[in-house]
Amino acid sequence: MRLALAILGSALLAAWGVGFAGPYEQQVLTIAGINALAVLGYQLVFGRLGALSLAQGIFFAVGAYATGLLATRWGLSFPVTFLVSILAPMLVALVVSIPVLRLGSHYFALATLGIAQLGTLVAVNWEDVTGGANGIYGVPEIAAFGQTVPVGSAMLVLVWGLVVFGVILFGLLTQGARGARLATLERSPLAAGAIGIDAGRTRLTLFLIGAGFAGAAGALQAHAVGVVSPAVARFDVMVAILAMAVIGGRGSALGAVLGAVLLTHLPEWFRAFESYYLIAYGVAVLATVILLPSGLAGLIRRTPARPPTRPPNWVATGPLAKSQTGFARPAGLARRPPATLTVAGAGKRFGGLIALEGVDLHISPGRIIGLIGPNGSGKTTLLNLISGLERADTGRVRLDAVDISGLPANHIARLGVARCFQHPDLPGELTAFEAVLAATPGDASAVDRAADSAADRAIGCLRELGIDMLASRRVSDLAAAEQRRLEIARALATQPRVLLLDEPAAGLGENERVDLARQLRQLAEGGLGILVVEHTMDFLLPLADRVVCLVAGRRVAEGEAAEVVRDPAAISAYFGEAPA
Amino acid sequence: MRKIIVATAQIAFLAGALSSGSALAESVDIPILVPITGFISLEGTAQRNGAVQALETPPAGVSVSYEVSDTSTSPEVAVNALRRAISKGKPVAAAASIFGTQMLAMLPIAKRAGLPLITVSGTAKLTELGNPYIFRFFPGDAVVKVAHARYAVEELGAKRPAIIYQTTSYGQSGRAELARILTKLGAPPVFEEALSVKVKDMLPAITRARAAKADMLLLHLHSGSTALVVRQARGAGWDVPIVAGSAMHQPTTAALLRPAELKGVCAESASSPISESTADVKAFTAEFRKRFKTEPDAFALGQYDGIRMVLAALKDGAKDAEGVRAWLSSHTHKGLAMTYKSDGKGNMAHDALILCYDGSGNAPRIVKRYDNVDGVLE
Amino acid sequence: MIDALAQLTVNGIALGAAYALAALGFVLVINAVGAVNFAHGDFVMAGGFLAVAISGYLPADLELPGLVVLPLTMLVAAGLGLLLSLIAYFPLRGRPPVSVFISTIAVAIILQHGTNAIFGPAPRAAPPVFGDGQVDLGIASVSMQQVAVIVVAAVLIGAVALVLSRTRFGRRLRAAAQDPEMAEAIGIDVPLMIAVTFALAISLAGATGALLANQFFVSPDDGGNYMLKAYIAVVIGGWGRIHGAVLGALLIGMFEVVVAAAASYVVAEALLYGALLAVLVLRPQGLFGEAEGRRA
Repeated sequence: MRLALAILGSALLAAWGVGFAGPYEQQVLTIAGINALAVLGYQLVFGRLGALSLAQGIFFAVGAYATGLLATRWGLSFPVTFLVSILAPMLVALVVSIPVLRLGSHYFALATLGIAQLGTLVAVNWEDVTGGANGIYGVPEIAAFGQTVPVGSAMLVLVWGLVVFGVILFGLLTQGARGARLATLERSPLAAGAIGIDAGRTRLTLFLIGAGFAGAAGALQAHAVGVVSPAVARFDVMVAILAMAVIGGRGSALGAVLGAVLLTHLPEWFRAFESYYLIAYGVAVLATVILLPSGLAGLIRRTPARPPTRPPNWVATGPLAKSQTGFARPAGLARRPPATLTVAGAGKRFGGLIALEGVDLHISPGRIIGLIGPNGSGKTTLLNLISGLERADTGRVRLDAVDISGLPANHIARLGVARCFQHPDLPGELTAFEAVLAATPGDASAVDRAADSAADRAIGCLRELGIDMLASRRVSDLAAAEQRRLEIARALATQPRVLLLDEPAAGLGENERVDLARQLRQLAEGGLGILVVEHTMDFLLPLADRVVCLVAGRRVAEGEAAEVVRDPAAISAYFGEAPA
Repeated sequence: MRKIIVATAQIAFLAGALSSGSALAESVDIPILVPITGFISLEGTAQRNGAVQALETPPAGVSVSYEVSDTSTSPEVAVNALRRAISKGKPVAAAASIFGTQMLAMLPIAKRAGLPLITVSGTAKLTELGNPYIFRFFPGDAVVKVAHARYAVEELGAKRPAIIYQTTSYGQSGRAELARILTKLGAPPVFEEALSVKVKDMLPAITRARAAKADMLLLHLHSGSTALVVRQARGAGWDVPIVAGSAMHQPTTAALLRPAELKGVCAESASSPISESTADVKAFTAEFRKRFKTEPDAFALGQYDGIRMVLAALKDGAKDAEGVRAWLSSHTHKGLAMTYKSDGKGNMAHDALILCYDGSGNAPRIVKRYDNVDGVLE
Repeated sequence: MIDALAQLTVNGIALGAAYALAALGFVLVINAVGAVNFAHGDFVMAGGFLAVAISGYLPADLELPGLVVLPLTMLVAAGLGLLLSLIAYFPLRGRPPVSVFISTIAVAIILQHGTNAIFGPAPRAAPPVFGDGQVDLGIASVSMQQVAVIVVAAVLIGAVALVLSRTRFGRRLRAAAQDPEMAEAIGIDVPLMIAVTFALAISLAGATGALLANQFFVSPDDGGNYMLKAYIAVVIGGWGRIHGAVLGALLIGMFEVVVAAAASYVVAEALLYGALLAVLVLRPQGLFGEAEGRRA
C-alpha cells in the first residue's frame, strides 16, 4: 500500500514537474529525487537494520567524485561513470564493513563518522586528484547512446524514474518474508539467529546496497549541479539524509520520498526569511520529530504481509488428523526427516564458575526428553551450547553424524535444531503470521519443492499450534500464552529436525498446559525429537519419555520420569527434603 | 480508498506548495546570491551589505528591486538560488558568491540564461573559462598575490618565507599563486602548512615554521585563523614580519587583536575603506556603519563598486541583461576603491595595495599601491 | 628542542582541558538519558557568544571582567540546558534514542543559525578570566588564559566528580541514571534529576565556550568540531565513564598539538580518526574500560 503510494506519488510529482514547473522548481525537484534515492538506501541500513550509520553521506560523496573524475578527466560516458559511481562506494563499504559492521549502536555511529571525516579530509587535501576545496567543475550533463539528458524535464524524469526503480528494489528487499526477517533481526537478534537468519550476511548485503543507492544519488547530483566539491562530503549532507529518513518515516520507502521532498523544499520555501530561514528549518524539523513519532509516512498505516485468503487445500482435511499414524506428515506441510541429537561431555565455564561439566544427552526422533534441575543448574546454558548461542569449552554436539559443535547459531538452526526462549523473543510490531513467516526457509533447496508457498507453510505452523485465527493480530497484542505458542509455531516453520523448548509451560493456565502437552505429544508422534526444560512437574512428568536432572552443571540422574523422581540424588538436590 | 484520498491530498498540497511564490514582478531585478550562513558567511555578509547599500541608492531614473538569497556552503544551494533568481522577475545582473566553488557551479547556468554575475571572488579559474558573463570587481589571486609576494620580498627583504594557508577554496587558490610568484622572485617558500578552519592551536605550525628558519610569515587564511596565528606568534615571542592575506584587512579581524600584537603585521587587499581619506570613501564608510552597524571591508566596497557599475550601465541606457553585459565589458568605471575595466576575461580590478599596522591602533595605514599588476610575473 | 616540546605539551594540556570540560557535559547527558546530545558542541559555541554578550553589559573599567562573566555564562547556560531538556528530550521520552539524536540536531541547527542571525558571522573574543599576559615557567611560557583554562577545568571537573560521588544529591543523580525504574520506586524524582543533569551539562558547555572564546575566539559554525571531539573522547575513554571521557579529551588535545608539530595538521587529523577506528575495532570498551552495565 505505502510502496504503491510511493511509486504513484513519485510518478505524479515527476509529471507535475514536467508539465507545470519552471526550471527552478524542476531543479529543486530533481535534487529532491536525488536525495530520495540516497535516503532509500539509508532506510535499508538505518531504518530496517536499525544501525545508525553516519557513512551514507560519504558514500554519496564517493559516487559524486567518481562521476566527476571519470567524466571530466577521461570523458567517459554515463553508463560507465554511473556504474562505477554505484560500485565504488559499495567497494568502500565492503572494506569498511570488515571492522565496523559488528560494532554496537553508538560505536558503529562514531566509527562510520570517523570514516566519513577521513573521506572529507581526502577530498579537501588531495588537491591533485580531487581538485581540493574547489573540487571538480564542468561535469557534463548526462549523455548516453547518442541522447543527452539536459537538466530540466529530461533529468527530472530520469531521476524520478530511478526513484521509482529504487522503491521497487526496496520493496523486493523488504516485503513479505524478507521484511519479517529484517524486523526479527532488528528487534530480536537472538531469536533471529535461532530461526536461521544469517545476521552478518544480511547486514553486509543491506549495507552494500545502501551504499550503492548513495553512490547512484551522488552521481546524479554531480550531473545536476555540474560541480563536485568537498561540500558533498560535509557532515551536513549526512545530517540531511538522517533527518529526511526520520521525518519521512523510519524504514519506509514512502517515508524516504516524503522526507526528501519535504526537507529539500523546506529551505527553499523559507528563503524569504533571509538569514533566518535555516532557523525556521530547524524548528520545522524539531516539531516534526516531536509531533509525528513515525514520521510523515506514519500518517498512513503500514499494511502487514497478508496471510493467504484462501485456506490451503490440506486445511480442510486437517493436518493433525493425519499425523496420528506415527511418522505420516501432514499433507502440504513439508518436514525434513527427523534426526538424533547427541551431546557428549559438554563443559562450560564462566570465569571461575563451572556452568556445565561432562554432560551427556541423547534426543532420538519421536521422543520427548525433560530436562530438570534447580535454578542455575545449567539447563539454559546447555540449550545455548546446543543451539550455538554459546561455545562449549569441552565436548561435542552431533546432529545424526554431523558435528555441529561451535557452529554459528543461524547455521545450526538451518541444519535443523530449533529452539524457543524462556521469555518469548518476538518482534512486537509484526503480526503473528509475519513472525512465523520470518522463519520459513528462504532458499528453495532447504525445503520440499512440492510444498506450498512460504505463506501457506506459515499458516500451517500456526494451525498446528491451534492459533491460526490469531494470524492477523499484532504480536504485541497477544497474551503471554499465545506468544509462547506463537514462538513454537515459529520454531516449527524452520522445519526442525530437533526442537528445544525452554520452560514452555511457564505462565500458562491449567487448560492451556493440557492443550500444549497434547500438541507437543502430537509433534513427537510426527517424528520430532523434543527437549523440554521445565520446572512445572505436573506438566512435564506425564509428557516426557525420559527425564534428565542437572545439578550444578552435572547430570545427577537420568531415566524414565517415574524413576528420576524417585532417584535419591535428584531428590536431595532438586526436590529438597520433600519429594514432589 | 480513504487512504488514497488522504495521500493524493498530501501530494496535491506538496505540489501546490512547490509552485507558490513565483509571482512575476515588472521592475528590473538585481538578485543578491551570496553565502550569509556557514563558514564563508563573514565575507558573504560583507558582499551582501555592499550590494544592498548600492541598490538602496540607485541613480536617478533607475528603478531596481532586489532579494537576498543565501547560497550557504554548497554549490547545490547556489545553483538553486541562481535558478530561482532567473525564474523570478527580470534580472539584469546578479551579485554572486565570493565562494569560488559556487561560482564554478553557477557560471554555466548564468551563461545559458545570459545573466551577468558580479562577484568579488578571487579564485583564479573563474576568469579563465572563457565565460563572458563573469565580472570580478576584486583583484584575482593573480593580482593580489603579486602585491603580497613583491611586498614581502622587495620591500621587507624576505629570503626564507613560510606560507600558512587555509584548506579552503580561498586558501588553496591563493597559496598556489603565492608559491609560484615567490619562486619567480627568487625567494621560494621554505615551509608550507595547510590549516582547516577548525584548527585552534597554531603553535605547531609556528614551531615548525621557526624550525625551518623562516624569516617571514606569509598567511593566506580566513579571519579567525589569521588572528589566531598573529596572536600566537607574538605570544611565543616570534617577532618576524607577517604579511597576511586580505582577511587581515577586515576590521573584524583586527578587532580580535590588541594593537601591540598587530605591530609589524601587514596585509594585502584591494582597498581598505576605513583607511582611505577621500571624501567619497569616507561618506561610503559612514553610511555603511550607520546602516549595518559594522565596519566595511574591501569585499563590501568591491561588491558596492560592482553593483554601482551595473547601475551606471542601466542609467546609460542598458535595458536588459545582455545590454548590461555589453556595457560592463566595454566601459571604464571609476569606483570608490579603484577604476574598473575589463581585461576581456571579466577581470575588472587590476590594482592591489598593502596595508600595515604600526602598533598604535586597529586601523591599518596604506603603505604601498600596486597598480595594474596582473600578469606582470607570468 | 626540549623547550619546544615542553611548550607544545603545555598547549596540548590546555586544549585537552577545554575538550575535557566539553566531554564531561556530553557524557553526563549520555549517562542520564542514554542518548547523544548532538547540540552539545553548539552549546559550547553559544557559551562563547553568551560570554561576549554578557561582557558587553559590564562596566568597561571592571577589573578582571572574566571572573564575573564566567559564572554568569554558566548560569544562563544552565537555563538553556533546562530549556533543551524541555523541548528536545522530555517530549521524546520513551522513544528510541535516535529520536533525541535528531531533535538535538535540530536544536544545533537553530542555535548555529540563531547565533549567526543575532551576533553576525564575525569571529568574536570573550574577556580573559585572569587577564592577559604570559607566565614564564623557564622551559615554557604559558598565557594567563591557558592557566585559567587548566585551573577552571580542573576545579569544575573535580567539583562535579565530588558532587556525584560524595553527596546525597549526586547519589540520587547517579541512581536515576543507572536504573530509572528502581530510582522512581525509592522515591527519587527522576525527571527532575534528568532536568538537573541537562542544566549541569549545558552549564559546563557554557563554561567551556566562555573559556575558549577568549583564547581561540568563537564563530557561529564552531559547534560541530567541539561536538566531534567530545564524542571521540567519550568513546576512547569508555562509553559512559566520566573519568575516561576526561582522560580521553586530554589525550586528544595532546595528540592534536604534538602530532601537528611533528608532522602536520592534516596528518594529525587523519591519525586521530585512524586511532579512533583502531580503538573501536581493537578495544570497543574504550582505552579505560566501559562503565558497567551501560553498554549502549
